[in-house]
Amino acid sequence: MSMSKPDLILREKVLAKTRRGVADCFQCMKCTSGCTALKLLELKPHEIMRLIEWGFLDELVTSDIIWTCATCLKCTERCPQKASPYHAIMALRNIAVEKEVKVPEAYLKAVSQILESGLAETIQKIVTRDAEAFDRESLKLPKIANPKGGFQVAFMKILEER
Amino acid sequence: MARIGVYICHCGLNIAGVIDVEEVAEYAKSLPDVAIARHYAYTCSEPGQRIIQEDIKTEKLDRVVVAACSPLMHEETFRKTVAEAGLNPYLLEMVNLREHVSWVHFGKPEEATEKAKDLIRMGVARAKLLEPLQRKKVSVEKSVLVVGGGIAGIQASLDLANAGLDVILVEKSPSIGGKMAMLDKTFPTLDCSACILTPKMTEAARHPKIKLLTYAEVENVSGHVGNYEVTILKKARYVDEDKCRGCGVCATKCPVNVPDEFNMGLGTRKAIYIQFPQAVPLGYTIDEENCLYFSKGVCRICEKVCGFKAINFEQKPQRIKVKVGGIVIAIGAEIFDASKIPEFAFGKSKNIITNLQFERLTSASGPTGGEIVCPQTNKRARSIAFIQCVGSRDKRFNEYCCRIGCANTLKQAILAREKLGKDSDIYVCYIDIRAFGRGYEELYRRARSMNINFVAGIPSEIYVEPDGTLSFNVFDKNIDKLLEIRSDLVVLVNGLTLSYDAEKVSAVFHVPKGLDGFLLEAHPKLRPLESVVPGIFLAGICQGPKDIPEAVSHASGAAAKVIDLLSRVEIELEPLKAFVDKEFCSGCGLCMPVCPYTAIEMKIEKMNGSERHRAEIIEEMCQGCGVCAIACPSGAIKVHHYTNEQILAQVHAACLK
Repeated sequence: MSMSKPDLILREKVLAKTRRGVADCFQCMKCTSGCTALKLLELKPHEIMRLIEWGFLDELVTSDIIWTCATCLKCTERCPQKASPYHAIMALRNIAVEKEVKVPEAYLKAVSQILESGLAETIQKIVTRDAEAFDRESLKLPKIANPKGGFQVAFMKILEER
Repeated sequence: MARIGVYICHCGLNIAGVIDVEEVAEYAKSLPDVAIARHYAYTCSEPGQRIIQEDIKTEKLDRVVVAACSPLMHEETFRKTVAEAGLNPYLLEMVNLREHVSWVHFGKPEEATEKAKDLIRMGVARAKLLEPLQRKKVSVEKSVLVVGGGIAGIQASLDLANAGLDVILVEKSPSIGGKMAMLDKTFPTLDCSACILTPKMTEAARHPKIKLLTYAEVENVSGHVGNYEVTILKKARYVDEDKCRGCGVCATKCPVNVPDEFNMGLGTRKAIYIQFPQAVPLGYTIDEENCLYFSKGVCRICEKVCGFKAINFEQKPQRIKVKVGGIVIAIGAEIFDASKIPEFAFGKSKNIITNLQFERLTSASGPTGGEIVCPQTNKRARSIAFIQCVGSRDKRFNEYCCRIGCANTLKQAILAREKLGKDSDIYVCYIDIRAFGRGYEELYRRARSMNINFVAGIPSEIYVEPDGTLSFNVFDKNIDKLLEIRSDLVVLVNGLTLSYDAEKVSAVFHVPKGLDGFLLEAHPKLRPLESVVPGIFLAGICQGPKDIPEAVSHASGAAAKVIDLLSRVEIELEPLKAFVDKEFCSGCGLCMPVCPYTAIEMKIEKMNGSERHRAEIIEEMCQGCGVCAIACPSGAIKVHHYTNEQILAQVHAACLK
C-alpha cells in the first residue's frame, strides 16, 4: 500500500482550473458506468474526483491515466451534480504540462500534427475491403489547401495572447 | 414631541457578538424624541419584556422601538408586550439588527455598529409618525373546504367533520383515493393499500358532515380568513350520481377503448368508466373527449342498456358557490417524467416502466391481476432491475431527494421476490439506501436476506437491443467492478414532483410555491401546516414528499389548526390595510383593476345634489399589498402603518449621516 499526504496547495490550483463543483460529486457511479475509456484503459472518473477532493494529487498528475480520457463528454452530460469529471481531468492535464511531466507520445504527436498542418490527422490513402486503394484525387474530392503558413501564424498569435 | 423608548437586544451573542450594543444604546439616547434607550441580553424573555412595560409607565413612553431580530420572529410578541402596558400595539417599531446587520456583516464589527446606528435612527424617525390602529373583529363560517381527496384530504376531512365542522371535499377525479389507491402494498408493513384506505374513503362518503364533490375543481376564491367565498365547477359526468348503482353493464357494451390513466397506460378502459373497483362514489363517468356521442354524434349504447336510467347526455356542468371559514389544500403530487432523461430510454421499450406502473402490475386489481409480466411480451418477468433516483438528487431536474424512493423500492423488490420465486434475478442500483423511518431499516435487512442484488452505482444508460432485451453496464463501487446486467424489466424509480395542478391552485388560492415546486409553508420548521395565506392550510405531499404516516399526521395537524381557528366566535384582522382619503379621491377607478384581491369597490355618493364616484376598500379582503396606493394618481389611497410620510421619514433619516 502506498503512503501519500494530501497536497492542498496543488488541490487549490486544480479546483481553480476546473471551474466546476468537484465537491458536489456524491459518487453515484454514472460517469464510470458509461466511461468510454473504462473497459480498455481502466479510467475511473469517479475515483479521480475523490482523489482531487482529498488532495492526493502527486500520483495523479504524473500518471498515464489522466491521458486516457477520450473526451466523449458523456460524464459531463449525465452527471446529476454537474460535477463533470471531464473538466477535472482537463485541469489535471494542464497542470501536468505546467509541471513538465512526461506527456504520452501519441498525444504529443497529435499536437505537433495540428501545429504543422492544422489537421488532427495527416491526409491518407484509404484501402477498401476489396483491396482497392483511393486517395482524394482519385475520388474527385477537392484539394485541401496547405494551411501551414497561415494557420501556424494565426495559432501562435492566439497562444501568445493567452 | 414624542417620548420614544429604544430597546437594543443582544440576542445573546447573535447581535452583541458583532455590534457594540453599548455604543449603539448611547447613540440612541442622543437622538431627538428618545426618552430612554437600553440594551439587554434577551429582550423577548419575560424579564426583558417587563423592562419595556415598566418604562412605558414610569417614563410615560408613547412609542417603542425594539432593535433586535426580524419582525417575523417577535413583532407579535412585542405588540402584546406594549398592549399589556396600555400602549396601542401599532405604536411599536422593530429594527432588525440580526438578520439585517450582525448575521450578514459578521466579519465587519465596526461597520456593522455604524449600520446599526443608521437603522435605529431610521426606526426612531418612523416611530414618531406611527398612528394607533384597531384590529377589526369578524365572525367566522363554521365550515371548511378541503381541496383534494387523497389520503391527506380524506384524513383532514374526517378530523374536521368529527370535530363538528361542515366539510366540503372537492376532488378533480371521478373518485377519491388519490395515489394511495394506486398502490398495491404499503411500506414498511406490506399492508394492502386498498384495505386500509377504502374504509376511510367510505367513512368520508357517508359522514353526515362531509359533502363530497367529485369530478369537480375550484375555480375561484375570494374573501379572507374566516370568510371565504369559493366557486366550485362540478364537471358533467353525464351519469346521474343518485341513480347509478355501479353495476358496470354500460362499460361492457361501450365500444371505445382508451389507455387507462389509473393503470398508468398499462391497460385500457372504456369511455364510460370507473377508475377502480372500489371507487367512491361508486358511479360511472363518461369521458367526453373519447365518447363517440360527443365526438361523432353516434352510439349512446350505454343509455340503452342502463337498467337504472342513470345516463343523462343533457347533463350540464354546475357552478356551486360556498362560504367557508378555512381551507385545506391537499392536492398531492405527481411522479417525474422519465422521458426527460433520454439515456434511460423511457418510451423506447414497453419493458422500461415507472415505479407507479410496477405498482399496477403487482396489484391484484391491476391490468395483469397482480402477475409481474413484461408489458412487451406478456410473459412473466424473470429478472427486474430497479434504477433509483430518476429525476431526483439531480441538478438538471429536481435537486431534492424524493424521500420515498428507497423504501418503496425495498417493498417492490421484496414483493417481486415473493411473486417470482428463487430463480429470478432482482437488482437495485442505488446511490444511497435511505431507510430512515420507523420499520425502514428492518425492511432493508429483510430485502438483503432475500438474495436481492444491491448494486452500489447507477448506470449511465440503458440499451434496448434490436430483439427487445434490456441491458446496461453499471460500476459497483463496493467491489470496484463493472457489471454487465441484462434484465427483462427495468423499473425507473421516478421521484415525486409537483402536481399538474400546482400552478393553477397556486394562482387561485394565492398560495406560493417553493423553489422546489411544492407549495410553500409559512415556516419550514415551526409552521409546516400553514400556507403564507391566513386561513389556508396545507396537508400531505403537496407541501413536500412524505410517506403515508407522515401525510396522515400532516393532514390531522392541518385539521387541528383549522379547528383552532374556527373554534372562536370572532377572529381579529390585522389593520395593516389600505384606506381611501375621501377628500382626494376623484373616483377615476384606476385602483379597482389592479387589486389582486378584488378588494376595491366603486361606490356612488350623493353630494349637494350631484353624484360622485369614490373608491372604497373592502377591509376584510384587503391584504395590504399597496399596489392600489401606487396606482392612485392623486395619492388618495394610503396604506395604514406604511404611509408615504412614514417611509419618507425613514429615507430622510437614512440620508442624514
